[in-house]
Amino acid sequence: MTLTAPARTERAPGAARDRHKRTQRALGKRNPWYVSAAFMAPVLAVQVTFLFVPLVNTFILSFTDAQTIGGGSFIGLENFQRLASDPLFWSATGRSVLYMAVVVPTITALSVSLALLINTGLRGSGVVRGILFSPLVMPMAIVAMMFEWFYRSDGMINQMLHAVHLVNEPVRFLSDPSIALFSIMVVTIWKSSGLYTLILLAALQNTSKELDEAAELDGAGWLRRTWQITLPQVRGTIVLVGILAAIAAIRVFTEPYIMTGGGPSRTTETIVLYLYRNGIAPGTDAGYASAISLFLFSVVVIISAARWLATRRMDGAR
Amino acid sequence: MNSTVTSERTAARPRRSREDPSALERGIRWTLMIIAVAVVIAPILWQLSSSLKSPGESVGEFPGSLVPENPTLGNYVKAFTSIPLPQYFANSAIISAMGVTTNLVLATLTGYALARINFRGRGLYLTALLATAALPFEVILVSTLMVTRDLRLYDTFLGVVLPQAVSIISILVMRQAFINIPAELEEAATVDGAGTFRIFWSIMLPSVRGSVAVVMVLGFLDSWDQFVWPLVVLSDTSKYPVTVGVEFLSGAFSADQRVMAAAAILVMIPPLLVFFFMQKQVFKGLAGGALKG
Repeated sequence: MTLTAPARTERAPGAARDRHKRTQRALGKRNPWYVSAAFMAPVLAVQVTFLFVPLVNTFILSFTDAQTIGGGSFIGLENFQRLASDPLFWSATGRSVLYMAVVVPTITALSVSLALLINTGLRGSGVVRGILFSPLVMPMAIVAMMFEWFYRSDGMINQMLHAVHLVNEPVRFLSDPSIALFSIMVVTIWKSSGLYTLILLAALQNTSKELDEAAELDGAGWLRRTWQITLPQVRGTIVLVGILAAIAAIRVFTEPYIMTGGGPSRTTETIVLYLYRNGIAPGTDAGYASAISLFLFSVVVIISAARWLATRRMDGAR
Repeated sequence: MNSTVTSERTAARPRRSREDPSALERGIRWTLMIIAVAVVIAPILWQLSSSLKSPGESVGEFPGSLVPENPTLGNYVKAFTSIPLPQYFANSAIISAMGVTTNLVLATLTGYALARINFRGRGLYLTALLATAALPFEVILVSTLMVTRDLRLYDTFLGVVLPQAVSIISILVMRQAFINIPAELEEAATVDGAGTFRIFWSIMLPSVRGSVAVVMVLGFLDSWDQFVWPLVVLSDTSKYPVTVGVEFLSGAFSADQRVMAAAAILVMIPPLLVFFFMQKQVFKGLAGGALKG
């Protein structure tokens, strides 16, 4: 009988949780061990081999002088000492930090504004929405190549700047050491703002309409309602977007690799690009590269901890 | 009383949002929207323009023009005949098919076990999963490459696929889908004498078709987008997927910029088609996944 119940499944999460508990109770320990083993064995095989072992290995390797082709013996903290006094590493770190410092606030502000703009429901915005979000499915490698052409001295931006007589000489977006990194940041922002807008849009749709309307009856204008009623309700999501954008920024590789290869004279070499240079080619130093990886890892852990602290403080304030 | 007031307000909403914002405010919103759209399509248009320019027309003139003088599809033909693009497309198709399959199978099995089966270590596994969700692949890039070499998977498609065989987001999406299935469904089947595997295959799986579609779309987009890992693990250029292959060719001295622009447009078409036909699944997977991660 109950089998004929409608198979529509995705429902309210609250009810689902209760149901989940009931299911767990109903199932109890009736399943013999080989049932769960059959379901979990494939994923465990893959994840142990390609996730957990490499992660543990990264820790171990960082204390050895192993090469990428194998071997290696324990050398203590030597890799970390070398890292601490490696000027190339520190300037790559500095560039990645600068990258975060520019990209994260820009993406956050941009995606909040875009989400608010789209959320107010313009007529015929379906097509607009499709266009605005299309970059997020385009392969990053192709986007980077596209911008490489767009930025060329004879590319579209220079054509436009020339047409309105802003410049006489083409701007060297990717070969001028003082602006190359910023030109690459634009690509990251262009490509990923859509994703964060999408996340914020989902949160905005859960905000209270009643509150907004009550404030409107009290005569609050759109700007004030947005600032004081709507945005505080999605504060947690805004923090999440900032964190996700920060983690994405520290990982930047494809854009500089394709557009500049780290040049001119290393001015666009980010941490991951530096890691790639030092740990991938055969014969490079895997132990040292693992030390760089661990540094990257600890940055991500710190960012995640910041998120945890931020959400905890917000929950406490409520 | 209260409910009528609310419903009146809700009823008044659409009217209000059309009338209340002044013409000025609507004008500002549309202007901003148009600027955003222009910023998004400008680089795409430029690339499209380069890809349609005929050999006689310079792509490197300053100042040049956005509209090609004699538009031609010749560059698209050349992309398929004068460079190994068909090979790269075939490689990407194989890699994506493998990636979509492993991602779907692993996410479904794991999601089911996490949602519906009580086993020792489940909590521990879920914690480990969530803890590694934010771990960038680049952190384990070097070690993963070494493991892949040790397993003799270096320079093979299997070596490209296996390290990223399943995404944590996909597992969480499937877990949530299975949690949402009412317990009665399962109880009734158990009473009827169906075993866990039968329940999974003929009752549970059919009721999560929507999420299966989401996970397949996510798997395809991830596979097609891959760049760093295939670049690192493949050394035979004839095994390159489209992203690495087109980048490799465009770096060549002899590369014809118009043909490369056409090739890049062609590479973007499959994910864009998926996006326009399955927008709902894409949005659901990307927004939902990110929120849970």
